[in-house]
Amino acid sequence: MKIIMDGKEVAAERGQTIVEVARRNGVYIPTLCHVPALEPAAMCRVCTVELVEGRRTRLVTSCNYPLRGDAEIRTDTPMLRQNRKVLIELLASRCPDAEALKELAERYGADLNRFPAEDRQCIMCGLCARVCERVGGNVLALCGRGVEIRVDTSFGRLSPTCIGCASCVQICPVNAIRIEDMDGERRVIVRGKEASRVQLRKCTSCGIHFGPVIDLGPVLDRAGEGGVPAFNASVCPACSRRSLARRLAERHFEQHAVESPDADEEG
Amino acid sequence: MPESEATCCQEPEVDFVVLDRIIRDEFGGRREAMIMMMQTIQRRYRYLPEPALYYLSQVLGVPITKIYEVATFYASFSLVPKGKHLLHVCTGTACHLKGSGGMVRHVAAKLGIAPGATTPDMKFTLETVNCLGACAVSPVVVFDDKYYPQATVGQLNEFIEKVNAE
Amino acid sequence: MATAISTAPDLAWTKKISSPQELASFRQAILASLDPNAPRIRVCCGTGCKAVGSLDVLEAMKTAVAAAGVDVHVMPEVKRTGCHGFCSRGPLLTLEPQGLFYQRVKSEDTAEIVQKTIIGGEVIPRFLYKPPGSKEAIAKVSDIPFFAKQTKLVLKRVGRIDPFDIRDAIAAGAYEGIAKVLAEMTPQQVIEEIKVSRLRGRGGAGFPTGVKWESCAGQAGRHYVICNGDEGDPGAFMDASVMEGDPHAVLEGMAIAAYAMGSDRGFLYVRMEYPLAVQTLTAAIRQAEDLGLLGQNILGTDFSFRVSVSTGAGAFVCGESSALMSSLEGKVGRPRAKYIRSTEKGFRDSPSNLNNVETYANVPEIILRGGQWYTTYGTERSTGTKVFSLTGNVHNVGLVEVPMGTSLKDIVFGIGGGVPNKKELKAVQTGGPSGGCIPIPSKFIDINVGFGKLAEIGSMMGSGGMIVMDENTCMVEISRYFINFLVEESCGQCTPCREGLTRMREILSRITQGEGREGDIELLEEIGQFTNNFSLCGLGTSAANPVLSTIRYFRDEYEAHIRDKKCPAGVCKPLYYYEIDSEKCTGCGVCRKRCPAAAIEGEKKKPHTIHQELCIKCMECYRNCKFDSIRIM
Repeated sequence: MKIIMDGKEVAAERGQTIVEVARRNGVYIPTLCHVPALEPAAMCRVCTVELVEGRRTRLVTSCNYPLRGDAEIRTDTPMLRQNRKVLIELLASRCPDAEALKELAERYGADLNRFPAEDRQCIMCGLCARVCERVGGNVLALCGRGVEIRVDTSFGRLSPTCIGCASCVQICPVNAIRIEDMDGERRVIVRGKEASRVQLRKCTSCGIHFGPVIDLGPVLDRAGEGGVPAFNASVCPACSRRSLARRLAERHFEQHAVESPDADEEG
Repeated sequence: MPESEATCCQEPEVDFVVLDRIIRDEFGGRREAMIMMMQTIQRRYRYLPEPALYYLSQVLGVPITKIYEVATFYASFSLVPKGKHLLHVCTGTACHLKGSGGMVRHVAAKLGIAPGATTPDMKFTLETVNCLGACAVSPVVVFDDKYYPQATVGQLNEFIEKVNAE
Repeated sequence: MATAISTAPDLAWTKKISSPQELASFRQAILASLDPNAPRIRVCCGTGCKAVGSLDVLEAMKTAVAAAGVDVHVMPEVKRTGCHGFCSRGPLLTLEPQGLFYQRVKSEDTAEIVQKTIIGGEVIPRFLYKPPGSKEAIAKVSDIPFFAKQTKLVLKRVGRIDPFDIRDAIAAGAYEGIAKVLAEMTPQQVIEEIKVSRLRGRGGAGFPTGVKWESCAGQAGRHYVICNGDEGDPGAFMDASVMEGDPHAVLEGMAIAAYAMGSDRGFLYVRMEYPLAVQTLTAAIRQAEDLGLLGQNILGTDFSFRVSVSTGAGAFVCGESSALMSSLEGKVGRPRAKYIRSTEKGFRDSPSNLNNVETYANVPEIILRGGQWYTTYGTERSTGTKVFSLTGNVHNVGLVEVPMGTSLKDIVFGIGGGVPNKKELKAVQTGGPSGGCIPIPSKFIDINVGFGKLAEIGSMMGSGGMIVMDENTCMVEISRYFINFLVEESCGQCTPCREGLTRMREILSRITQGEGREGDIELLEEIGQFTNNFSLCGLGTSAANPVLSTIRYFRDEYEAHIRDKKCPAGVCKPLYYYEIDSEKCTGCGVCRKRCPAAAIEGEKKKPHTIHQELCIKCMECYRNCKFDSIRIM
């Protein structure tokens, strides 16, 4: 399989997506709604590239286009740059302060203030909803449609199925989701609105609150064999480390008690 | 599965026997028939009551988020009760050319509601529909399931007066 | 919105037809029982006619016939039928054996028709159709230009049979195609025949049907045959009429496709705004299963094919193939971004063949008469016929089936009868909301309608909507209308369609309100090109067409709105006013009496004037002035 990217032949394996091949070969393609861990959704469209097929050139999204045979790809033509510029300008009106957009705007010469700002604090990349379906408790979803589409919980209420995993917080490219741990509870706040409240586990050793108390059933189902034992812990990670250290030290002391006291200093 | 007791208490009208008949008997509990089940539920209650959707979620084993997603995606579903009388104004191209846009604005202004909304007294719901396939007799409105071809603003006023007189 | 029609006859008691030969004798038996000279009254019960009260006419006619006590031997059969296509003239009656065509019949007319025409054999002139501009009334269906100039292959049974009685359809030749296929053809031969016909998908994209079937048939796994009846284009109702008027044509086409691709399961996805189509299809499936024409062991062979009807829930985007399949699976109907064809991995991740209603309806006839025969209609690249729904500012609104390659002129003037009220034809819009506006009068009036030609001039065939626009249509406003439609119907997941359309709507609304700015046209073009280039699905990649095509052909109208703050067509309210031409005004007073805002003043027989501050621009005076003295300024 011969893949030419921006005029140079690059290494690629059959079935790899264009973005995978590009990353592997150090070719830059912008993405906003793509993370390697999730199935591509091709929603933001910023990764669109030109695929040359004989005399015809087709526009495809590189995050989900699988390379199955010889192909020539152009990732940074004037036409692509122009369209990416408009795309960023349009998105910027939803989310004027997003760092992710500022970087791209600089690269493509986009004017972040071209369209009137309507601060929606979200670029509708859908990552939070996708990760919540894959990892979390199916709390966030893309609700409504057309321009009304938005990330929301069922009926806009506090979700009872949230496991407080905070994957959504981690994945959001514009930092529109945050968690607040307070008074023994974890609050997931999406664009300033509380989406769920999860009780936190109290450490039986030191008394601080750490991971969320969750219904382990669905999580273990998804994790499969082996499970996720950390969730069952009744002590916080700090105490758990401390007790492990203590146990190790004790064992070390027991082992070295019969040897010479100098050995300790060498180790 | 989430508990829905709180909402059940607020809206006690949902009859689970009826829901069972729709979900299990009429559509065999097939997940793929979910949209049609929801349509049948909506026809029964004039909207999609929240407890009914939670029950659907439980029976089909589909996360409530997915059902909510469907309920908010399709234009025909409503999560709020609709009025006793339903006025659909067709805004398909043929009707638009014959002035249906002005008719919608007229009714909206007269009732003080936006298209898609219901009057606070729950008597009247105004909706637009994108083409009923009766373009030859445009503009078409449907009032309480009856088609009115070549409708006029005068007719719409009559509907409103009739409803207000009730 | 469902209005129930009386139920279909129950055929569950009948014996299943157990071989293709037996179907032929079954048909012969039905035909033998019919007296070709017996009077028959057909009442059109399509959506258009139903809207103007044809169901009442049907019932009244039945009562009138019974009351007249006509001799049993000549007892006229009163039938409901699907759409005749001539929807602007409803309710419609056709009277056999004379072949009379009565239009605009009311319930109270039925007794008279029975007495005079059925019993007395007399033609009642006032029900006859008079073509615009002609004094001669036309009595026979076959002489009316609207019908005479059409070539009906897909619509051949629509309007002639009772869609709720399969025996009617069988008598008219339904299921002969599947019988032939099962008796003497291999699946490969079926595909070959479709390829020879060069039939192209009628949903809009125009993909060669035979090629699609072949690629689907070649896949491993369970195959699905799906019919797209989600005709969402506003102003288009051809698929509705086929499903409502001749559901068996679609079902038979699907069965033949299933045989060709080795499928045993099919789905019809019908939009919920078509309750009548759901009823006719459901009844048709039940009757066909009762007779052994669908379901298990069709016509006594090993071939089984089960079909069911699924309804949409109000989402235009579900007409897109991957969205439709998601919706069929009971999910949100957002198009899936995948570079794998649905013939490989579609519904339930299995090979699925999706065609449009009209495409399937073409299939039985191709099988019966051969692919070669089909190519005698239409052009080299677009074979066969196409059904258009002709609407808007045209005399004869309705369904029109013509060979591909027919000129726009023949359709709009020859069949459609031209523009009413002595107005000028301004444009023809084809291809639904994502199509384009073709400016007329210009060289384009002679353009031959086909897949390639329309695309060349910036429009598209789409599924066959054809909207005629007269001089009082504002092209800026109409493009705002289409963009607004698409904003409401976009699924919203991808950036260009969601954000681009919103911005375009905003700019267009501004222009139509008189707040257009220099640079708006260029901005619309820039965003429009971006949405067309970067969107995910077919809806998005064609969404800007209405804007781009109107800018291309009617740029001066945009400029008039932006620079001069004028709407030349008199549609955008803040941008025009009415004025009475004192030279032409005769002072007849019609406008004064009609004005709902009492804004017109004037003495009898003296030129009137309009008080601009009172005028609500309702167009009432403009429309009703017989002397053409009211002007849009």
